[in-house]
Amino acid sequence: PADIRDAAQAPVRSAPAPVTDVARLCVCDLLVAQCDVNCCCDPDCSAEDFSLFTTCSVPVVRGDSQLCSQKAAVYSLDVEANPPERIFQLIDQVNPSIFCIHATNYKEALYLKSPEIPTPENFDQLLDQFGGAAFSAEPESWNLDTDDQNPPDANETSRYEFGVPVQTEDAFLRLPSPVVSSWCSDANPAGFLVNQATKCIRSVSVEKCDSIQALSMLFYINSSILAAVFQVDITVQSIIVQSLDGMRTLLSSGDVLRLPMVLDEVCINAVLGVNYHITHTDTGEIIEAAAAFVLGAISKETLSIEQSFEISFTQENTQPVPLSGNPGYVVGLPVRAGFQPQGYPFPAAFLSNKHSQLTILHSTSTQDCLAAQGARAPVLFGYNMISGCKLRITAAMKCQPLAQTLLDVLKGQSFPEYVASFGNSQAQDVLDWVPITQLHISEQLVSHTLQSSCQIPVSLGIEVKWTKYGSLVNPQARIVNVTATITSTTLKQLPSGRERIIPITSSVVFTDISSPAEPSYKAWPTIDIKLPFDFFYPFV
Amino acid sequence: NNSSQLSSLPLQILLYINGIYYIFYFLATLAMIIYKSQVFSYPDDLLAPDLAVLFLMAILEVPRSYLGFKGNLTEAEGPLGLSLGLTVGSVVLSVYLLLWQAYVLWADVLLNALLLSAYGLESGLKVTAIAAFVS
Repeated sequence: PADIRDAAQAPVRSAPAPVTDVARLCVCDLLVAQCDVNCCCDPDCSAEDFSLFTTCSVPVVRGDSQLCSQKAAVYSLDVEANPPERIFQLIDQVNPSIFCIHATNYKEALYLKSPEIPTPENFDQLLDQFGGAAFSAEPESWNLDTDDQNPPDANETSRYEFGVPVQTEDAFLRLPSPVVSSWCSDANPAGFLVNQATKCIRSVSVEKCDSIQALSMLFYINSSILAAVFQVDITVQSIIVQSLDGMRTLLSSGDVLRLPMVLDEVCINAVLGVNYHITHTDTGEIIEAAAAFVLGAISKETLSIEQSFEISFTQENTQPVPLSGNPGYVVGLPVRAGFQPQGYPFPAAFLSNKHSQLTILHSTSTQDCLAAQGARAPVLFGYNMISGCKLRITAAMKCQPLAQTLLDVLKGQSFPEYVASFGNSQAQDVLDWVPITQLHISEQLVSHTLQSSCQIPVSLGIEVKWTKYGSLVNPQARIVNVTATITSTTLKQLPSGRERIIPITSSVVFTDISSPAEPSYKAWPTIDIKLPFDFFYPFV
Repeated sequence: NNSSQLSSLPLQILLYINGIYYIFYFLATLAMIIYKSQVFSYPDDLLAPDLAVLFLMAILEVPRSYLGFKGNLTEAEGPLGLSLGLTVGSVVLSVYLLLWQAYVLWADVLLNALLLSAYGLESGLKVTAIAAFVS
């Protein structure tokens, strides 16, 4: 083998020879110059240490058991003796199989290969082989060389299947993503019907801003997608411009191509994010493609920017509603909620869209309740969450507006009234939706403060009770009951100039109330035999 | 031996048995090499010499066996001597498979030892037959 030859040529250095003597090998000897507990092969242990052991963690040390006859070191504790002592035996273990290895002439057959020690002679070769991020060559299937590819005929590209890369004129629709490290690799193709969102880092410099291809909009919408008999051009859906301090504005003229250029040592119109929306028919033909861009500015000191890419596929004439499970809820997906529009008690459809999700307060870094208005996090099924903020009360604050503000902070702008009991509950099935029970608990500090004292809500606890539903083998999660409890406390009037800090908390708890499953068996089939009514015809 | 017949009957029997045993030996050794290449790590530059030796021995066996039969039946010492020479070659290859293969299994040791003892006995009988034909 090549490495043996190399090692023979290498002058002096070689790795230390591996220990193969079973009497000296000890796997449990981890502490140097100290006795490891229950390690019978440890040379640092004395006879008194052995008398304290209970078992031997390594009872036998031997080489490859495929060998016909090999030495094995057997360690055991003799607990009958007083004090207990360790017994060490070196025995010859025989493999009775007729296919046991009698001898080998191949030195590395039964041992791991020692790695090559780098020397000045083999360093370049080792660096070529092992110096990259990955040890194997790039697979040829993602070859973007246009000379090799013969243009696919229309029959092949008309219908896409799930996962097949979306083909364009020159190669594939690219979705840059981090491959091994966080740096962007442009060789990642987008798969049909695979919704992906990736973020990666690209190195930039303001001087080369207009020459870096990946920063310009053209790179992403240049080639048209091959689909059916004609080619689908990628249109620009919208452009959001982000300024240097992070403020984003939506451009009204969203279909104008803006190329990066250098202005006052700042590179503007650099692509920070692309969001592809592909519309397809139900037979797998792509009919429309649009891209929404986020363009930003790069200052002179920036050496790298983070780009984010997303692609989503929508079937034509449908309005996708993300399901949280089919049918039972999947842990980690948002709990779907909605309102019942006016017209109750007539059965009407529920309104459920992104804005009426069940959300709880999202803790911010400032932890100030009044400044944090608007930061909400969706409630994910199965994830108990707790969040909170601190409220600073001064003497000048009035009670009623404060209570209302806190209620808004805790519950959010539109607290839903109903929660879907299954992950795929349709809006028109009224019975599939569970009403949210609202409870109010007020902590009365002293019983006599019943007169108009200030009650402010300080905590919101949402308890979601769910059960396992369906078959024993594949139980589905179903929400049975949702209770939102608001706890209020009295606010004592503060002397002027003083202020108090009250913690406000909100929490979500998921409780499994499924009753233990009882397997049910099919009833035995009954044999129902009856004679026909005219069986005894002539006589009856 | 009958004075009118010089061909050696034990040699003929042994040649016949050896032919059959060699077929079994070849198939068993080939199967074991395939087994070894799957179960153990058997790099290609060690597998090639072992397979080459096995096939060379198979190629040698055909003329060796044919010449042995022909020499014994026609009572000619030429073919028998040539067969003896080829037997020496086969013995060397069998010793290689016994000692210098990459993995020598216990079954390999048994098969090769049996083959070597059969060749030894056969060579002894051939020498006796040549002596009988020459004189």
